[in-house]
Amino acid sequence: MTEIILEIKNLRHSFNTDMEVLKGINLNVSRGEIVSILGPSGCGKTTLLRIIAGLENQSGGTVNISDTIVSDSKNFVPTEKRDIGLVVQERALFPHLTIIKNVEFGLKGRRDEKYKTALNLLKLFKVDVYANNYPHEISSGEQQRVAMARAMAPNPKILLMDEPFGALDHALKSELRDETKKIFKDNGTTAIIVSHDFEDAISMSDHVLIIDDGLVAQEGPAKDLIPITRNNSFKIA
Amino acid sequence: MFYKNLLDPWIILPTILFALFVVPVIWIISSLFGDYSDNWTHIYNYTLSNYIYNTIFIIIGTSIGTLIIGVGSAWLVTTYNFTGKNILEWALLLPFAVPPYILAYTFTGLFDSYGTANNLIRDIFSLPHEFIFFPKLRNVYGAAIVFSFTLYPYVYLVSRMAFINQSRSILEVGRTLGFSKFQVFYKLGIPSIRPAIIAGLMLVLMETISDFGAVEHFSVNTFTTGIFSAWFGLYDFHTAKQLAALLLIVVITFLILEKYSRRKNRYSSGSNVFSPIAAEKLKGSKNIFASLFCTIPVFIGFVLPNIQLAYWALNYKLDFFNEKFITTAWNTFYLAILTAIICAVLAIIINFSIRYRKNKILNILSSFLTVGYAVPGLILALGVSQLLVFMDNLLFREYLEFVLTGSLVGLILAFVIKSFALANSTIESGFLRINNRLDDVAKTLNTSGWKLLTQIHLPLLTTSFLTSMILVVSEVIKELPASLILRPFNYDTLAISTYIYAAEERMFDAAAPSIAIVGVGLLPIIILSRLIVKSRPGYRNNDNHYQSY
Repeated sequence: MTEIILEIKNLRHSFNTDMEVLKGINLNVSRGEIVSILGPSGCGKTTLLRIIAGLENQSGGTVNISDTIVSDSKNFVPTEKRDIGLVVQERALFPHLTIIKNVEFGLKGRRDEKYKTALNLLKLFKVDVYANNYPHEISSGEQQRVAMARAMAPNPKILLMDEPFGALDHALKSELRDETKKIFKDNGTTAIIVSHDFEDAISMSDHVLIIDDGLVAQEGPAKDLIPITRNNSFKIA
Repeated sequence: MFYKNLLDPWIILPTILFALFVVPVIWIISSLFGDYSDNWTHIYNYTLSNYIYNTIFIIIGTSIGTLIIGVGSAWLVTTYNFTGKNILEWALLLPFAVPPYILAYTFTGLFDSYGTANNLIRDIFSLPHEFIFFPKLRNVYGAAIVFSFTLYPYVYLVSRMAFINQSRSILEVGRTLGFSKFQVFYKLGIPSIRPAIIAGLMLVLMETISDFGAVEHFSVNTFTTGIFSAWFGLYDFHTAKQLAALLLIVVITFLILEKYSRRKNRYSSGSNVFSPIAAEKLKGSKNIFASLFCTIPVFIGFVLPNIQLAYWALNYKLDFFNEKFITTAWNTFYLAILTAIICAVLAIIINFSIRYRKNKILNILSSFLTVGYAVPGLILALGVSQLLVFMDNLLFREYLEFVLTGSLVGLILAFVIKSFALANSTIESGFLRINNRLDDVAKTLNTSGWKLLTQIHLPLLTTSFLTSMILVVSEVIKELPASLILRPFNYDTLAISTYIYAAEERMFDAAAPSIAIVGVGLLPIIILSRLIVKSRPGYRNNDNHYQSY
């Protein structure tokens, strides 16, 4: 039986009393699975990701990571203790640290071990030649590779990605998506990708969740996802 | 949740600081509700009206002066190109470096009956020595002139920034509606930046009514000299506090007006389509007028006092670096740097607490912490003195009578309360430049609290930290009344030395400490002029890569 890593039950969230952003989301993510959360701007997908990360505290419902309640009405495990990784569209690399130091940042242990792990990850993402450069000295595509290497370095239980390829051009996106998926699958990484891009979802994920107006409108295998060009949205066949 | 907050160091520390900052002010205000002594009755019947009249006269005179100089020069350097503009646009800030009391001392030396300027006129035209060309300056008129020429940069600075951010289209529409260039200036240019002008003017007025050194030198009785003489002339601390409380109410009113203007200021340039003002080249008499209009304030507010100081220093006393000067300078820099470090560290802790805990109450508390900037040094000195006496009684009564009172602790506390706002504004904007996503990512990498602050934020705040220190250092070096009252016995600073020498009419001895004060005061001006350039819409900061990550 597949091990469930993330379990979300009846998740609700409102920023103020009269505006509910999430209206009862349920979601299960298995180990090694890549799940995409799709939906139009403002549908609540980024909020859902932030709640999973512990950067936002939900109004109701439960979030379980590896059979441990990390947030509900009584419990709240802070972000730094949830064992998750985060990749954001802006990359958010630490500008005062070199590339290798960025990747080492979340690692614990001996200095040489940290260096070795970080360098291996940089090799995996093909950016090891920039190990001693600073973030502003490399391109945005390379920065995104570093951001993913950094998030994977501590070997988190779940990797959360918020519009990870959003700021890249089409050709670079496609190349990076294929490489990333291969790395994730080879390493058995569990990932949740928030996106509004059909290509991101179909090429990267195993499972897709479409959120609309704070609710799960549809869910199913990524291969069944169909774009609707009329209104630039999607549906699952 | 409430008890959890009580144990949270990121909430406890800002709350303690708030109490420490606010208690001296509350103490002063509370004096109004106590008994009134015979001295108060005397002051109320005979001198209070004089304090009020002089203070109001100086306020009105300074307002007119700073508005004409500040707004006029800001408009000229923003909308026109004329001879010397490139230098004048930053040189107009130079009088910021000259505290009003130093300009007052040098003006006395220059324009008194037997001052340098009158002597020069008599020598050139071979006039009898009874002949006096320049009128007396030791009066309310002289005080208003001194404040106008030292404080106009506040109005210039905010007006210039507002004009820079003003869209050309607004002014061009005015021209198409049949307005002349001058009409466009006063019918469109000024009204559209009015909130900014009022905000600058409120700062000028707060500085004006807080001043002690200049009005005391000109023997003009105002609230501040009244407080000083009630305390050290009548030895009536309570009456001094009551006078201070009245002044504080005026200051708080100005402060509220300033905050209100600032809030409105946000809406003054609300256009999405922005086209910057294209400066027009002036020729002939207009070119000369614009150059002179902008040169005169710099000359009177900066060049002239420095020529006089240099003249005194070179002609009378060449031993600039004598032992006394070195000791005084060391005392001053020691105090200033210590205060600057404390202010910067506190500002970092408070701003980090707000960012990290996202606590609304902390946000409100922090805005109160910056109010100290507006409280006159003399009033702060009164409040801090009382706080120290209270602490001494509480903690050291059994051992020694006074441990904290008369020590450097009081002086540093007063400086910190007064200068915190300067450090806070720089550190706050430094934090705002750090993308919140860095915090989010750092948290997922097992980094929070202290580690987040020291490993991520602090390295990114180095420039803000140093800038805030420079601003505080230059403020502390200039501060006179608080230093005068709270200093330990025989502990002189540059400002105190200047004051004492000037009070004894030993102007040539006052030159060295005055030049040192002006010299240090130039540092924040360099920062300010850089900030103005950066504030231009469309300016791209190539030095700072941090913003984009």
